[in-house]
Amino acid sequence: MEGTTVIDPKIIKTDMHVADKADALNQLATLLKEAGYISDVKGYLEDVYNREEEGMTGIGNFIAIPHGKSKYVKEVGVAIGTLTEEIPWETLDGKGVKGIVLFAVGNDSDGAKEHLKLLSLFARKLGNDDVISSLLNAKSANDVINAFEI
Amino acid sequence: MKIVGVAACTVGIAHTYIAQEKLETAAKKAGHDIKVETQGTIGRENELSAEEIKEADIVILAIDVKIGNRERFDGKRIIQVPTDVAIKSPNKLVQKAQEVVEQQVGAK
Repeated sequence: MEGTTVIDPKIIKTDMHVADKADALNQLATLLKEAGYISDVKGYLEDVYNREEEGMTGIGNFIAIPHGKSKYVKEVGVAIGTLTEEIPWETLDGKGVKGIVLFAVGNDSDGAKEHLKLLSLFARKLGNDDVISSLLNAKSANDVINAFEI
Repeated sequence: MKIVGVAACTVGIAHTYIAQEKLETAAKKAGHDIKVETQGTIGRENELSAEEIKEADIVILAIDVKIGNRERFDGKRIIQVPTDVAIKSPNKLVQKAQEVVEQQVGAK
């Protein structure tokens, strides 16, 4: 795993039942906490919401990429969640969101350079429509991992 | 035609690279050559050479922040948009770039 991908099955959740955006972010941040990527859910989410203020993270095609640099991040990672129901989100195409990719990045970008490089390669794939449609159809963590292997 | 571009967003970990991918895909689909430099948290990647910039018919800047060495593009035709536009409507953006280049050629 180390050195090849930022994707970690421990922080992937499919068929999530969420009430709204806040609930979704909270559930995904909790996954990050449980897997040891962040030290504090509340502090981390504050930084995520700060980024939300700056501009839309709904990139269209039912995908949102909330993120933020936070001192509460211990290790670079991405929590990925697919939802059973579309939820409202600020998006570029005005649609809701059914797939969420929550980025966790620390403030020390030099120390994490290798991981950030992998993260950039991963982010790039979110610009590929085939990846997105596979992701939205994913029924298991394995499906999610496969979606990004295009 | 030949397109060079730069993508850069505020945090520099996500939109930058998505915009790069979208632009490259759209340009290739329309039959153009394209190279997009990214300026993100990890610094510059896929950096444009002076030669590539010189040969380019047009420059597309998909940026939300000031970029480094913008003066490299002085004298070139530039289309500047936020990363959001490159992510949402990459095909339209490439189409627009083509129109600008065609107008330029027509005017000569």
